[in-house]
Amino acid sequence: MNTKALLFIILVVLMQGKSAVFAQATYRFGIMPSLNLNSALKNNWSLNAKAESRQLFKSGTVNGDAVNEYRYVLTDLSLIAAKKVGLNSRIAGGYLMRIEDGEISHRFIQHFIIVQKFAAFRLAHRFMSDQTFSESEKPEIRVRYRISSELPLNGESVDPGEFYVKVSNEYINSFQAKDYDLEIRLVPLLGYDITDNFKIETGPDYRLNSFISSSPRHSYWMTLNIFIEI
Amino acid sequence: MNKLTFILLLIAFGLTGSLFAQAKFEKESRIKPGQVPDKARLFIDSLKIQSKVKWYKEESLTATSFEAKFSLNQARYSIEFDAGGNIEDVEIETDLNELQPELKESVYLQLNTDCKKFSIVKVQRQYTGSESDLLSGLTMNILNPSITINYELIIKCSPEKQAGLFEYLFDDKGKLISVSEIVFKNSSHLEY
Repeated sequence: MNTKALLFIILVVLMQGKSAVFAQATYRFGIMPSLNLNSALKNNWSLNAKAESRQLFKSGTVNGDAVNEYRYVLTDLSLIAAKKVGLNSRIAGGYLMRIEDGEISHRFIQHFIIVQKFAAFRLAHRFMSDQTFSESEKPEIRVRYRISSELPLNGESVDPGEFYVKVSNEYINSFQAKDYDLEIRLVPLLGYDITDNFKIETGPDYRLNSFISSSPRHSYWMTLNIFIEI
Repeated sequence: MNKLTFILLLIAFGLTGSLFAQAKFEKESRIKPGQVPDKARLFIDSLKIQSKVKWYKEESLTATSFEAKFSLNQARYSIEFDAGGNIEDVEIETDLNELQPELKESVYLQLNTDCKKFSIVKVQRQYTGSESDLLSGLTMNILNPSITINYELIIKCSPEKQAGLFEYLFDDKGKLISVSEIVFKNSSHLEY
């Protein structure tokens, strides 16, 4: 039943993307590698440090001109502290520093996560808000919801030496001054559990934004995520 | 690739050297019927199950076992075999209300002692015995007195502040045999 629900969500997102394409849409392709270090602390606390970069290879207008030029877009460095508040739930708060075009912006993050274990897969619901401040832009507040599923490709749970599929779908409401935007993300990844403490994932990260009141922008990032528990 | 990204990846791979030494080897994988010991497969075939049977292989550092999972008469069955295909036990998911009142009372007494708050997530009836006795029980509903019946309960229990998930094993009189905590697999890749 939940596989069908996920497929329905994917279909809804694709339909939105399809309708957005008919406006004057822009796109960009690039890579987005990330490294996550997570550490369990005492009293159900944990700490997550993440480094992520974005590098652009191509951008342009749909059915228009394209620019094939490499550009290093940004680096995100974040530190989040989380506390387990229930059997499968955690609240977290932290800080992210973004370095982009020589400028630093500051983001404060809060989120609440619930992880559900079903017979043959796991589902995670993340409710998140963040506030971003920089010198060149007005403050931005975002309210987000993401659903992620982990589907083992062998057996009923992911074990060391096994592959899995992780599909995430996120909706991000952005409020900046009087402007509102909705960003939709769809990220289907192939993961490999090297050990319980070390996972690698790769796959496309599709993002659609700016489609409500202006020209839609499609972003396609090829991701390589490394998760290490230390 | 940006220098910073490269350096971070080097650090990551350097750290993982120690992680391989710490890993505990436990693995469960879905397998085809052809990969199951003949004895185990023949036992399941003799049950003439109409629904799909899923086979799993469970490997740890000390043992290998095979498990057949299927639905029968609206109940979920799990039959475990050792590496040679000899039957180890039959587990049938059941409802708490199907337990005898005296047994339920003993179970609640134990749980009230151990937990400030608790909820029962799953109940399984576990049968162990000889292959012929278990086969008779499954095919003809004849329960030989030599079959041992235990009850396995998955409990969400809050001993003090933090809730945990535990597996309780009771005998058919409600006497506690064992308790073990269920450890969740790492989920940071789902959370961040």
